Amino acid sequence: MVRIKKKFSPLDAALCIATTAVVLFVIHRVSTDLNYRWNWSVIPQYLFRYDEATSRWIPNLLMQGFFMTIKLSLWAMVLATIVGTAIGLLRMSGSLFFRMIARSYVELLRNVPPLVLIFIFYFFIGDQLMAVIGAEEFIRSRSPELQRFFSIIFAPPSSFSAFLSALTTLVLYEGAYITEIVRAGIESIERGQWEASASTGLAKWQQLRFVVLPQAVRRTLPPLAGQFISTIKDSAIVSVVSIQELTFQGMELMAATYLTFEIWITVTALYFILTFSLSLAMRRLELRFRQHGAL
Amino acid sequence: MKKFSTAIIAPIVLFAAVLMVSCTGRPGDDDKGAAATSLVEEVAKRGVLRVGMSTFVPWAMQDKQGKLIGFEIDVAARLAQDMGVTVEFIPTKWSGIIPALLTGKFDVIIGGMGIRPDRNLKVNFSIPYDYTGMSIVAHKKLAGGFAKIEDFNKEGVAIAARLGTTAAAAAKRFVPKAEVRLFDDESQAMQELLNGRVHAVVASAPLPAFQAIKYPDSLFLPISENFTREPIGFALRKGDVDTLNYFNNWITVVDSEGWLKERKHYWFGTRDWENRIQ
Repeated sequence: MVRIKKKFSPLDAALCIATTAVVLFVIHRVSTDLNYRWNWSVIPQYLFRYDEATSRWIPNLLMQGFFMTIKLSLWAMVLATIVGTAIGLLRMSGSLFFRMIARSYVELLRNVPPLVLIFIFYFFIGDQLMAVIGAEEFIRSRSPELQRFFSIIFAPPSSFSAFLSALTTLVLYEGAYITEIVRAGIESIERGQWEASASTGLAKWQQLRFVVLPQAVRRTLPPLAGQFISTIKDSAIVSVVSIQELTFQGMELMAATYLTFEIWITVTALYFILTFSLSLAMRRLELRFRQHGAL
Repeated sequence: MKKFSTAIIAPIVLFAAVLMVSCTGRPGDDDKGAAATSLVEEVAKRGVLRVGMSTFVPWAMQDKQGKLIGFEIDVAARLAQDMGVTVEFIPTKWSGIIPALLTGKFDVIIGGMGIRPDRNLKVNFSIPYDYTGMSIVAHKKLAGGFAKIEDFNKEGVAIAARLGTTAAAAAKRFVPKAEVRLFDDESQAMQELLNGRVHAVVASAPLPAFQAIKYPDSLFLPISENFTREPIGFALRKGDVDTLNYFNNWITVVDSEGWLKERKHYWFGTRDWENRIQ
């Protein structure tokens, strides 16, 4: 193994100074040239506010958007992983028909800009689909307790079908990438592993389940982490179809208060908290795999 | 040969499936006559009036508690109350609000939508319940001495407005020689003006006047009056005579009561609501 030198060279010092100078210059320009009245004091109340009626602190606009982003990304990650794994396995199937279906899905979804995809889905396909399954009637005819439950895990009745449309788009879009990650993971497992497990008498499905997949999961973890982080960031595009997630709430708030920069900076920080903690979690998971060889 | 044919058929089948899902209309969509299902009855059955709107200060905005307030919100809430149902607001991006209405994301747009012939080709409008006008706020340094709308109609002048609004249309009509830059909402357009990258912002009154008061050092009102007068109506899907009749008469009634005027005065004539949003 090559030892990496950990010495602070003059070049490093020069780079540090240069970076700091650039940052300071930008801050200076912003504070002098930009005609903007900073007003940070009102931002905290948009995160949490004190509710007089129930005398409790409750999340306000930005935090509500933040939770919506979490719900949306979480569901999208889980469902996209399922879709991606299923289609990824189809990609490796012996049947040409299944392989072609999987291939068509991946190529179709991957080669369309997500923004276009979300518009098509929301206005055309999603609308027909939601009417056919009767998503909105279903949720409105439930009891208040069930409606509350659905509001907490998905979205309130008024935006339920829009939420499902947006979620479906995200799942299909991210699923296409996860399909390729899964396929690459399985294909990276050496042929000898298949042959060895076949010689111990395992059936094809058992070879996959007990020998190939456990190894493939380990290899797909780093690209999967990247994809999950992308999912969080991509969830911002559903703001264009008025899903009330973080970006949408931020933009609505800007339209009402004109605090453009304070709100964008806050929104950025919230996204960063989310993506960075996911990064750290995935990193821990990877280390665990490396130490124990399994979960 | 068999392998070859599946290779061709698979994508075709998939494509056809997608096409089928997207083409089959909502069941019974076409044969629903206006008389058979009027929105009024549908809303009464559902118990909820779904109103599409977008944030425009002071027509509709969220207060510190995250509750929607504003002139349009009052109008929609009263309308729902008079219909005996609850109101549900669906905040929607202005640029996509008509497609969202047409695809049934909500029942009616009560969002300060100006009645315009080109819009009217796609949706039905109620009679006007309010009038607004376009006004212009300009940068003191860049547009110093500009006093007429014609002063802005020059090459090299840049005007900002909100995408898809009548302000954008008015800017293109009144100052065709100027460069018009469009933004997703007014706050971005205003920021462009404050940064001195455009000469002026065109928007529905009273926003330009409010901004000129807020930034007296850098902004001013070149023209004191509005330069257009625009009727504002409810927008609904086409062909629903029953509902259109209900909305028109409702507007006539609340207008006669003086209620509309009183509400309008509170939101546009005073700034009592200012501390509710910041």
